[in-house]
Amino acid sequence: MIDRSLSLFQLCDSNFPTGSFSHSFGLETYIQEGIVHDKESFSRWLKVYLHEQLVYSDGLASRLAYEALVEDDLDKVWELDRLLTVQNLARESRDGTQRMGDRMLNITEELYKIPVTSQYRRRIKEKQSFGHSALAFTIVGYHLHVDKETTILYYLYSTITALVQNAVRAIPLGQTTGQQIIHEFQKELVVATDKVMQLKKINFGIVSPGLELSQMKHERVNIRIFMS
Amino acid sequence: MTDWTGFLELDLEKRQGRTVAKNVYFQGAFKVMRPIYHNNYSYPCYYLLNPGGGYLDGDTYRMKVTLDEGAQLTLTTQSATKVYKTPNKEAYQETEFHLKKDSYLEYLPDALIAYQDARYFQKNTVYMEKGATLLYTDILTPGWSPEGKQFSYNHLRLINEIYMDNELIAFDHINLNPGAQEIGGLGFMEGYTHLGSFIVIGEKTDSALLDLLYETIGEEAADIKAGLSELHIPGFTIRVLANSTQVIERIFTACHHVISNEWYQMKPSFLRKY
Repeated sequence: MIDRSLSLFQLCDSNFPTGSFSHSFGLETYIQEGIVHDKESFSRWLKVYLHEQLVYSDGLASRLAYEALVEDDLDKVWELDRLLTVQNLARESRDGTQRMGDRMLNITEELYKIPVTSQYRRRIKEKQSFGHSALAFTIVGYHLHVDKETTILYYLYSTITALVQNAVRAIPLGQTTGQQIIHEFQKELVVATDKVMQLKKINFGIVSPGLELSQMKHERVNIRIFMS
Repeated sequence: MTDWTGFLELDLEKRQGRTVAKNVYFQGAFKVMRPIYHNNYSYPCYYLLNPGGGYLDGDTYRMKVTLDEGAQLTLTTQSATKVYKTPNKEAYQETEFHLKKDSYLEYLPDALIAYQDARYFQKNTVYMEKGATLLYTDILTPGWSPEGKQFSYNHLRLINEIYMDNELIAFDHINLNPGAQEIGGLGFMEGYTHLGSFIVIGEKTDSALLDLLYETIGEEAADIKAGLSELHIPGFTIRVLANSTQVIERIFTACHHVISNEWYQMKPSFLRKY
């Protein structure tokens, strides 16, 4: 028997080709402005991004989607897909999550042939839905019977490690430093997941002004190695 | 909730080329003054006012504005919205806009000032039909306390939900909680004190307009941080971090002029208030 968490873990691998290596979600703006330039300043940014943006968008959406899947309420999942997309007011970040979601859905459909995934893809093709990796990931987690909390934790882990990899290339930082940050962030991820589990629905989509601004400003950043 | 502290309903229609009121109703601590047709334009400007002078503990306000097909409106406040301390229950305001086909709304309220220990929740919901245009601004100040401490309010939550033909097209949620956040720091206000938002939904939005607005914002001499970005439907958001209400107002007025000029070859009205 294949360990189900291990199967979900495959999706967290930074080699899993969703295109996350192309998106910094505003980090590159901070790097260009010299605000993020070393391990400490990057960790500070990553903490704010995790605790003040990701939990309220992807994290909370993942939990609500998991709960909707348990209740077989797919309309709720499609509603979350729309909410996640339209609450992202920065175009590049919004396009990025759509593109990554689309790719994750394509690959996981090949791997698991989950009917919900197929339906999600069909809806995207027919322009009824947008696509988002948090939901694509959650659908697989639920399908594999990985519990809700672990699914959210793994999803956040995959997002954070991808951003660390990107920071290692862009700042740049040493590979070992990158691994140190991922190691240090394990406790942050647990805190973030606990928070997601307790968040009220009213808190969906809270955005920190500075983070969002940096995501908008990225469109006008001169030299860029990331698409967002 | 039926017992509103203030309640206001405003329905406008286009009659013989002119936008006129079909229904104006208000009660409690919410009022509009007689409309003014600035520059002899064919549509009115309504000024909202709060006869109580500010929002208090547990106050609830509701406003509903409907623009019929082709109707146009400028809606603003007479002065800043002030929220005083709310020891027991947050102050709440909900606004619903119904914009029928080809109608035009510019809702440009003055800044929000939240005093020490204030809690405030504002929810705007806009229901648009295709062809309708929305210009919306808001400005959040750091508030005021007797000791001069900034961000001494307790909690501000502002939610904007915009629907086009009953589909959600934009969702904006600002939640400032100085007690729980490092409000001045990285990712939040980043050393600035004021936050301005300008949301525009209009079919004529294109990248040339955004370039022009970007240039216009770039001409501001004061220390600011600004970003703008297109929505997934024709429209965009501008956000500005600055250190005074006046700077944000100046930038938004300049942007408003650009939009009016590009789309309608018109100048926005000067909203004389003081």
